[in-house]
Amino acid sequence: MDDRRATPPTALPAAGVRAASIDIYAPQWRNFIFVAPFLFFFTMLLLVPLFWGMWLSFHKADTFSSGNFVGFGNYIRLFHDKVFLQSVWNTFYFVLLTVPTLALIGLFLALCLNRRTRTAAVLRTLFFSSSVLSVTIVTLIWRIVFIPNVGLLSTIYGWFGATAPAFISDPSLAMIGIAIATVWWCIGLPMMLFLSALQQIPQDIYEAAALDNANRWQTLRSITLPSIKRTFVLVVIVQIVLQFQLFGQAWLMTRGGPNNLTKPIVLYIYDTAFRRWDLGMGAAASEVLFILILMAAMAQYLVTRSKAGQA
Amino acid sequence: MKMKKVLFAAVSAGVLMLASPSLAATELTVQRFFGACDADFGTNTDVAKAVGECGIITSLINKFNADNPDVHVSVSTVEWPGYDQLTAQFASGDAPDIVTIHESALSDYQSKGLLMPLDDLLKSVGVTPDAFTDAARNGATKDGKIYGLPIDSWTMLYHINMDLFKQAGLVNADGTPILPTSPEELLAQAEQFKQKTGKPYFVQNLANETALYTRNLYTYLFQQNSDFFADPKHVKLNTPEAKKVVEMYKAIFDKDYTTKDLDYGGAINAFLAGGGGVQLNGTWVVGDNNAQSETKGTALNKGGYAVYPYPQLFAGAHAQYADGHTWAVSQKDRTPEQTAAIGKFLKFFADHDFDWSRTGHLPAYKAIIASDAFKALPHRNTIAAVADLGRPLPSAVQRQFAIQDIVGEEMSAAITGQKDVDAALADMESRVNELLANI
Repeated sequence: MDDRRATPPTALPAAGVRAASIDIYAPQWRNFIFVAPFLFFFTMLLLVPLFWGMWLSFHKADTFSSGNFVGFGNYIRLFHDKVFLQSVWNTFYFVLLTVPTLALIGLFLALCLNRRTRTAAVLRTLFFSSSVLSVTIVTLIWRIVFIPNVGLLSTIYGWFGATAPAFISDPSLAMIGIAIATVWWCIGLPMMLFLSALQQIPQDIYEAAALDNANRWQTLRSITLPSIKRTFVLVVIVQIVLQFQLFGQAWLMTRGGPNNLTKPIVLYIYDTAFRRWDLGMGAAASEVLFILILMAAMAQYLVTRSKAGQA
Repeated sequence: MKMKKVLFAAVSAGVLMLASPSLAATELTVQRFFGACDADFGTNTDVAKAVGECGIITSLINKFNADNPDVHVSVSTVEWPGYDQLTAQFASGDAPDIVTIHESALSDYQSKGLLMPLDDLLKSVGVTPDAFTDAARNGATKDGKIYGLPIDSWTMLYHINMDLFKQAGLVNADGTPILPTSPEELLAQAEQFKQKTGKPYFVQNLANETALYTRNLYTYLFQQNSDFFADPKHVKLNTPEAKKVVEMYKAIFDKDYTTKDLDYGGAINAFLAGGGGVQLNGTWVVGDNNAQSETKGTALNKGGYAVYPYPQLFAGAHAQYADGHTWAVSQKDRTPEQTAAIGKFLKFFADHDFDWSRTGHLPAYKAIIASDAFKALPHRNTIAAVADLGRPLPSAVQRQFAIQDIVGEEMSAAITGQKDVDAALADMESRVNELLANI
């Protein structure tokens, strides 16, 4: 045993001589069996499609056959396509509309509901309950609200003899309509994250502030907000990554219209790859989206790493 | 022990797999659009009692199952037109046996070898292509072979609320509606209608819509003899003819002669509630609208319902855009029993095409069009002309549904004022050509 321990990990047996000791740092290949099932599915469902997608993006391919290598041809077509550029802008616009709103309303709700009363508990459940609905149900509910003539909004406006704004078909309102439905749907997670952060702030800091006669505004600005700064960053980045992948709401509420003004990148990919059968160009658009989301994920990594360094 | 269990499971699965076909009838999977209406017609086998596309097709398939105990058809209903799903099914090798495909979409699948040529199968059950109408036969024939059993020809129509037309003074002495004969007349009559009734002349589903815009454009390009698809790989849409059509619809939009923010369902409801004079919709709602007009207390019952082909507004060909529905069969290995069951299903639909024509669609069979029973159906005297007027895009044009989306998006942008008309037509042409160049 002692001999084995004494063997330096990098020592190599002399040529032709069988090693007398076991290198404890050497890989034990039988352990591979334990991770093999995971690795198999990880490779087949994630790595292979990832690299296959990259390969496809350099080929002229349709749904039923993959054709010639076209180099960056698909990417060149993509960046000459006004609809693609529009869809990139739409995605950023949607993220801009939803992420700050989700972060601010989520924080506001968490601040209001961070108390141990029965009402607060009921309201927390209520605000979170929309998050468990599927996108189909959410869009159905909001279509019933927005639909002209017979929708909830039209009925309410009708009581005052006014015409409701056309959230589904007006070019300047359609994306806002989708954003409203999305905020209603997604508000639960940011609220819960903020609530858990608020509950981790030590109570004695608030007691010290109370002794110093700090008012509620000063307490909020100097104690609460600085204490949940990291959660705020987390919420913003998680929501950016999520909202970049907008698809269901836009597809079911407006079909990307009017005139592609609510078509996000994922819908563009779907349209190109599966409705026009132009799989190569759809794959190229997917790679662009991949890079955009990767950038957001890297930002999250950098921000959280630098914060950890400071701590 | 473990081995034993595995062996037992494998044997059980094998027995189950072997047992099922011997116990059950020949199973066919059918996929269709036309909506779901199981609550009303889920068990109905009396086709004469059914109304509308969904009611009639559901009842027909129920009747087929009841009449043929040796075959069982299981139906999956997809949202119109269902091609995204069908393409994915074909790609994953899981296509249904029989599926509804528009004549305009047949070549997409046929060109990839995904559909079975039906000539021999149809012949074996006594259905011959010479029984089809010219429109149906041409629509279902690709590269000289039949790739779908045509069940109808359809087009867009002017569905008219006669009560509002009377109020607007747009009725002839014989009780027929006065329809325009030129774009100028159309705008003048729409203005007169708006002044007299306070309602828009047209009820259109313009909210995030593409198909309606595109069909309108194709119709009025045909009427100006514009051969915009002379080359099936290259379209010419940035033309003075197309500009005339777009500007006409833009004037209708700008002057509030149409409903604006309605989706498809909303437009149907608005028309049935008397929200406007003319609904632009297809042959498929003739049956439903007629049923409404016979129901007391409805807006269409008040002064009657009439339906006509699109009026001839230009001096060119007497034509309007038309398409057709077919039953296509996926290409796969089948037992002779399965192939025979498919033949039975197709023959059943060929034999019951009259029932299907009660939807408002035009029959795909010459004998039915000529029959007294068909002529006796309501409004067929006014819409039967579509059999001669109807014109599809050239069958070699691929991706017609994707093209429809592009044309519709750009037309919508021009008409609603998001884009200049010339810019929209230029973008329309270049986007379609880019699509066609990369097939």
